[in-house]
Amino acid sequence: MSSDIERRELFKIAAATAFAAKFGASQEQQRFFTPQEFAVVDELAEIIIPADDHSPGARAAGAAAYIDARLAESQEADQKELWRKGVQLVNQASLQMHGMAFLETAPAQRTSIVERMAQNEEEPKSPEEMFFKELKRATVNAYYTSKIGIHQEMEYKGNVLLNQFVGTELP
Amino acid sequence: MPAPAERDVDLKRTYDAVIVGSGAAGGMAAHVLTSHGMQVLLLEAGKKLDIEKELKSMEWPYEHARRGGLPPDSHALSRNEYTFRKPPYAKGLPNKHVYSYVEGWTGADYSKNIVVDEKDNPYTGTNYAWVRARCLGGKTNIWGRLALRLSDYDFKAASRDGYGEDWPISYTDIAPYYDKVDLYLGVAGHRENLPYLPDSLFQRSTRLNTAEVKLRESLAGMGRVLTPYRAGVTTDGLKHNKYRSRCFGRGACDRHTGGCDIHAAFDSPTGLIYPAMDTGNLTLRTNSTVYEVLVDNNTGKARGVAFVDSRTGKNYEAKAKVVVLGASTLESARLMLLSKSRLHPNGIGNSSGHVGHNFCEHIMGPSVTGLVKELVGKPRTLDDGRPAGFYVPRFRNLAGRQSNFIRAYGFEGDSGTHMFPGHAASTPGFGAAYKKKVRDYAGAFIGMGAFGEVLPRYENYVDIDADVKDRWGIPVLRFNYHFGDNEKKMAADMADTAREMFEAAGIEIIGVDRDTLPEGWSIHELGTARMGNDPKTSVLNQFQQSHDVPNLLVVDGSSHVSASCQNPTWTIMALCWRSCDHLADRVQKGEV
Repeated sequence: MSSDIERRELFKIAAATAFAAKFGASQEQQRFFTPQEFAVVDELAEIIIPADDHSPGARAAGAAAYIDARLAESQEADQKELWRKGVQLVNQASLQMHGMAFLETAPAQRTSIVERMAQNEEEPKSPEEMFFKELKRATVNAYYTSKIGIHQEMEYKGNVLLNQFVGTELP
Repeated sequence: MPAPAERDVDLKRTYDAVIVGSGAAGGMAAHVLTSHGMQVLLLEAGKKLDIEKELKSMEWPYEHARRGGLPPDSHALSRNEYTFRKPPYAKGLPNKHVYSYVEGWTGADYSKNIVVDEKDNPYTGTNYAWVRARCLGGKTNIWGRLALRLSDYDFKAASRDGYGEDWPISYTDIAPYYDKVDLYLGVAGHRENLPYLPDSLFQRSTRLNTAEVKLRESLAGMGRVLTPYRAGVTTDGLKHNKYRSRCFGRGACDRHTGGCDIHAAFDSPTGLIYPAMDTGNLTLRTNSTVYEVLVDNNTGKARGVAFVDSRTGKNYEAKAKVVVLGASTLESARLMLLSKSRLHPNGIGNSSGHVGHNFCEHIMGPSVTGLVKELVGKPRTLDDGRPAGFYVPRFRNLAGRQSNFIRAYGFEGDSGTHMFPGHAASTPGFGAAYKKKVRDYAGAFIGMGAFGEVLPRYENYVDIDADVKDRWGIPVLRFNYHFGDNEKKMAADMADTAREMFEAAGIEIIGVDRDTLPEGWSIHELGTARMGNDPKTSVLNQFQQSHDVPNLLVVDGSSHVSASCQNPTWTIMALCWRSCDHLADRVQKGEV
């Protein structure tokens, strides 16, 4: 009954989000990161949850902008420091591995940097491994609570009015 | 349907009864006493919320600036803070507001006005995660909704295993009142005919999904039961209640702290208090923190209560023929201990010295998560349009003692997709393969965690810490409470049997958590003013009436003699109904 309407709604959402990303609407509202830092976090988020043939990724979902807004209003100095230092660590790793800043590297090189950061995900020890854990936590939280994450990627069917419960009726 | 208009409070008159607290217990007392024609004053320490505006049950995460999270000036206590720090937990924290751990769950911003600010409401002593809700309806605004009955396996547990005391009632005494609660408030469930978990008068049950049916069938082969979550939710509607809608299976009930804005899930205001106000017999005063039960120094009987207006700080007295405490297990104990007078030097109703003692609850923590492989990569299903998933009733120590501990535990669990894929953070890796894995596995997990009976022990108690006061200058509670050896052995068994049941069902084990959660985590505190036949070892008689003070009733969980392993809300309300019927009968006969 409502699936057509829903599909049209989703199309509108997708179109609007794509527009916003293209014209950098979210970047205009950034408050914590510098433009350079924002671009690094935006790229890192997209590497963690990329666009694929199923749905758009973290960039289209505005994950970096959401992270930026939370950090801007955060009262936890440790948290802010972790992100500021974290972006520096990514650039340092990039210089060490590829001889140039993170955003100047080729896509495969960027992935290799994230691979190095992610190698001890279960028990992170080095500062860059600790930063990856936080980066992934924040990206996952931002992406899967976004319109794209809930509706397009996960195709969530709930939060609707049901006349009957779904599932098996017991005898 | 908007809330009915409030009547003016007349503090010059003597009400037939004054009730302290408006949760499951106080709300039920208001319903029953007003239905008998008594003129009742109900005092609630917290505020009256415009609850629909608070809850927004169907709001999407992305419609909320912080995706449901708390504002940056607020802090929710973490599990670690309850372990490594000592109460008062908010002391020394720089945040403007500090809340209990339940505010750390998703959707916390929707309930931050329901729970207390720990900064205003400190407590001291041993570690305890004390969750309090000070507002009209109390914790019923955010409860987990599991509505279970107790049986004689619980009421007569002491006779069965030799530990502690039997309750002064049997199942046959309370069964008619469980029926009344079922019919008046609505409960969804599936009949199982179990002597140790009696059926309610059920409305339409929620349904099990594929993984849950698989586990149910496997458990049946082990002589164990998995039944759809017995929810204190009206699934068919209630013709007699204009404030509550039937359940429409919306996904947001996953977000318990978000409450139910159509009130299909029971809450005390719409289920009990508003209908009681419609009788014309109930006067409600919120922002009224009672700090003393007042005593007639000639007779020793209660004559009313003293309270402070929590907004203005002004003090008042309310007069009543009967005082009914339903402030919660720990707040009612605090109030009794604070109410010292010449005739009641240890606190009102406390000649036995048992007020605050025999404090018990449920122990939680051990849990299992499993993967149902055949569901990986399957098309999306709708699994969270229901109050919760399933319940596995107790199976230990049913036919005599079969384990290295006494009493029992049950499991709550569910499976399938949720609005937020909880496994995304714990799925290793990144990139396209990671994203696909999160997507493919979203509906294939099943998990359950145990709730076990903590034995009542005299040594586990709360008392008054006169050196520390709350925001209104009222001395606070001090905890002296620890899990014991029986609980630790039980917790180890919970983890073992959780694994055993999933393995038997062919569910791949993803993880077994053997750790217990901090004391208090279940939010099922009980026992601090227990009932009994002997006034030397109990505080209340079988009608929740003080042995010492005949016109004082304590109708909340503090009256429970033991915790059983079933969630207590339905029993609190059935017992309260029975006691208030008895009280009204005595009033009519002129005995009070």
